[in-house]
Amino acid sequence: MQELDEIRFLIGGAQGTGLETAAQVLTTAYAAQGYRVYSFREYYSNIKGRHSYIGVRVNSGTQPAAPRASYHVIAAIDAESVFMHLDDAGKDTLFLYNADLESRKLSGLPAIEEETKKYIRETLAGSGYGDSLGEAIRYIKEVKGARPVPLSFNKVLSEFAESRGIKVFAARRYANTILIAAIALMTGLGPDKLRRGFERRFANRPRIVEDNMALAGIVAKELEQYKNMVPVRRPKRKPRRLIVLSGNDAVAMGKVVAGMRFQSYYPITPAQDESFMLENIENLETSQGQLGGVVVLQTEDEIAAITAAIGAALAGARAATATSGPGFDLMVEALGWAGINEVPVVITLYQRGGPSTGLPTRGQQADLLDALFASHGEFPRIMIASGDHEEAFRDAVLAFNLAERHQTPVIHVLDKFIANSIVTMEPPTPESLEIDRGALVENPDKDYKRFSLEHPVSPRVFLGTPGTVVWYTGDEHNEVGYISEDKVNRRLMYEKRMKKLEIAAREIPEEERATLYGDGGDFLLIGWGSVKGAAIEALKVLQDEQGLDGAYLHVRMMEPFPARYVSKIIEEYGVGRVIDVENNYTGQLARIVAMNIGHIVRKRVLKWTGRPIYVDELVHAVPRVLGGEKEVEVLEYGI
Amino acid sequence: MASRPEVFDSGEWIDWCPGCGNFGIVTALRKALAELGLEPHQVVIVSGIGCSGKTPHFINAYGVHTLHGRAIPFATGIKLANPDLTVIVSGGDGDLLGIGAGHFVALGRRNLDIAVMIHDNQVYGLTKGQASPTLPYGVKTKALPKPNLQDPVNPLMLALASGYTFVARAFSMDVEHLKKIIMEAVKHPGAAVIDILQPCVTYNDVYTAQWYRERIYYLDREPGWDPVVRKEDERVEKLSKAMIKAMEWGERVPVGILYKDETRTTLEERIEKRVPSYRKAPPAKQRIEVQGRPIINRRYFEELFKRYLVEVED
Repeated sequence: MQELDEIRFLIGGAQGTGLETAAQVLTTAYAAQGYRVYSFREYYSNIKGRHSYIGVRVNSGTQPAAPRASYHVIAAIDAESVFMHLDDAGKDTLFLYNADLESRKLSGLPAIEEETKKYIRETLAGSGYGDSLGEAIRYIKEVKGARPVPLSFNKVLSEFAESRGIKVFAARRYANTILIAAIALMTGLGPDKLRRGFERRFANRPRIVEDNMALAGIVAKELEQYKNMVPVRRPKRKPRRLIVLSGNDAVAMGKVVAGMRFQSYYPITPAQDESFMLENIENLETSQGQLGGVVVLQTEDEIAAITAAIGAALAGARAATATSGPGFDLMVEALGWAGINEVPVVITLYQRGGPSTGLPTRGQQADLLDALFASHGEFPRIMIASGDHEEAFRDAVLAFNLAERHQTPVIHVLDKFIANSIVTMEPPTPESLEIDRGALVENPDKDYKRFSLEHPVSPRVFLGTPGTVVWYTGDEHNEVGYISEDKVNRRLMYEKRMKKLEIAAREIPEEERATLYGDGGDFLLIGWGSVKGAAIEALKVLQDEQGLDGAYLHVRMMEPFPARYVSKIIEEYGVGRVIDVENNYTGQLARIVAMNIGHIVRKRVLKWTGRPIYVDELVHAVPRVLGGEKEVEVLEYGI
Repeated sequence: MASRPEVFDSGEWIDWCPGCGNFGIVTALRKALAELGLEPHQVVIVSGIGCSGKTPHFINAYGVHTLHGRAIPFATGIKLANPDLTVIVSGGDGDLLGIGAGHFVALGRRNLDIAVMIHDNQVYGLTKGQASPTLPYGVKTKALPKPNLQDPVNPLMLALASGYTFVARAFSMDVEHLKKIIMEAVKHPGAAVIDILQPCVTYNDVYTAQWYRERIYYLDREPGWDPVVRKEDERVEKLSKAMIKAMEWGERVPVGILYKDETRTTLEERIEKRVPSYRKAPPAKQRIEVQGRPIINRRYFEELFKRYLVEVED
């Protein structure tokens, strides 16, 4: 078999049946061989029973950062996973399924929603197939050109149960291992290498490792004919070690490096894992002893989360909260309080599908305008939007530096597609990062004024500093912090605050607030957040496959907006050759571009199904929009 | 060492109505802080919105005048970040028991060392006299167009049910008694609450200073009254007795300490159990950088996040 630069597989099953474990085991095993891995996860707002799936890319050279619409292997743990992934089966896809379920009917699967059933039924009926699992398998073989791989899970699990001396019903808990074993076998990940994945996942539980390896052996024997059918090339370059992390992990790591020592939060998807991770390492235990401690407080609501973080920031801690849209909306009044009191607090905002509860476990980029304009009145804020895990890590550090330097709240925006995807990354070198605590006063004299009008950024004292006292108030206030409604004071204090944004705009180079990838002159994509991965890869595919040579302008800071730089790039291309790519309906970045620089980007590729943008659908959309066939192309790939 | 109450006078002109019950509270608070021997920089007064919200501006100490209902979570963040500070919340009945009631409950559950003063005058003064959550059903204070439709919440019962380990009531016009109660509340390690009955001379013509004077009696003068839980097995009995006192209202109104539990651990102690360095180096006092670079270098990073690292095989 010819070795591939990249292999892609999808594992599907009901929530609570160990898919995440399967993905972890495989990701770790490939990472240990030096491969770069990307995996994304789609799941319902449900604990057990509904369909979820994980798409994984294993690359021998570069780090993938977005889903692709074709898979080398699809492994279905249940009947639902066969019906749900008919579209994902392509030519030569190895499609593993449980042969014991061939008579299952679509209508007998309550976990699939009626709307989805209708779509699946129409897909099958459109080509003349019925709605049993057996018919679906014929469809993917005969219509899609995939290669079905039937396996009797009962047979395999019975043999496994017997060999390990366990009961059959207990053996069923290992069904996810069948998927792991099949994928390892097909992609050429040998038993020793697979073992590392299990050892990692089940550290100090050798019995479970051995159980899994025994089952993997039985599966390998049954599927012998598929061994090495889609082998992946050895990695071109091997780093000494890799980190395997989610977007939530990346932000948490950045916060710890930044010196954040207080985080308050209220549980919400997809932000909660970040706070869990912080609580796990709260002790900052190293070989040189405890480096400090992080206080992680679960509060009674998001209003308490943000106000507690503000309180901690006033006391002198680097403090933050992490939330999603619904929680952010509750924080909005306090955001204004932090604005008028010039408090360096960081809000990490993981966007999900809105409005209201919306699609709580799905993704979207529809809170850009919300976050940018949230809270009544006018005050400066800084807003950073990360496009991948590396950016998420670095931006988490940057957020605190900017917050303290400019004494403003900073909103760090991410989305579910980054938060919940797991990638490999080379360990960072924190020494190369800066910690800027801004203007501080440790020994204030008796004339010290917290809100001195001498400079827009007036040096701070922490609460409790001897030699002075300070008042904070949500009312307009004078230089010492007393309430003041005097009109001259109002004018000057207002200007003091607002000027800080001008200073930030002067100090932060525009080239760091937006980045141009590629230099092709045919078209320019513009986007933000998780669009980055799909856009950069789409450039390469468009060049290789269609000879279209473009570039991608990635906007990373929404406030202060890199107006001159974005304007210059857009004008180089001419606005007619610029395409806005976003995971929302209204093209929120395009609106911000229009607001800041007056160019209206009308060509757009948009998606609001709650699913991530696939490289392939973007590749398909770009020439259509560019050629004027359509002004707006709407994407909807992915179930 | 005790200082003079004037040390805690910020010098700002107090713009409450002449005769307002808040004057007694500010006077008692200044005296209590002075007698406790605290210095202004060691104290943070955190308030919400309304007439009582202005309290920090009149006290010469660190003052944080926050949002409506949110004084407690602000104070929670301040105290957890720097547990060496003496943190006192000063809020109205509407602020703490209406819009901020969830936070009020949460502080009791946490037993964090914060003292809460409820300025309880049964009305929303600054918006011109609407009923607050402590005004009884059917009462018509003078600004109300009709008698109150809603039943009141009992602040003491709510505090006891929420887990506050110090629960007291005082009367704003008896400054000396209130001062003593504030001192006890501040000294108590854990979440403390004082329901301070105060007249609103402008909008509450029912519960006037005279009304209270005729009814108030002092628990500490009652023979045999002992609200202190010294052993865990006394908790149910003392709590039950406190609740009976908390429900007494009408002909006689008790003031004084209703409940004081010395057996429950504070949140600070619980955090310290998990994070041993917490007291010595709380969040606000940790060194996080060395010459402008993170204290966590590559080596520490790899140790801290070991479970995320994968060694690549040759």
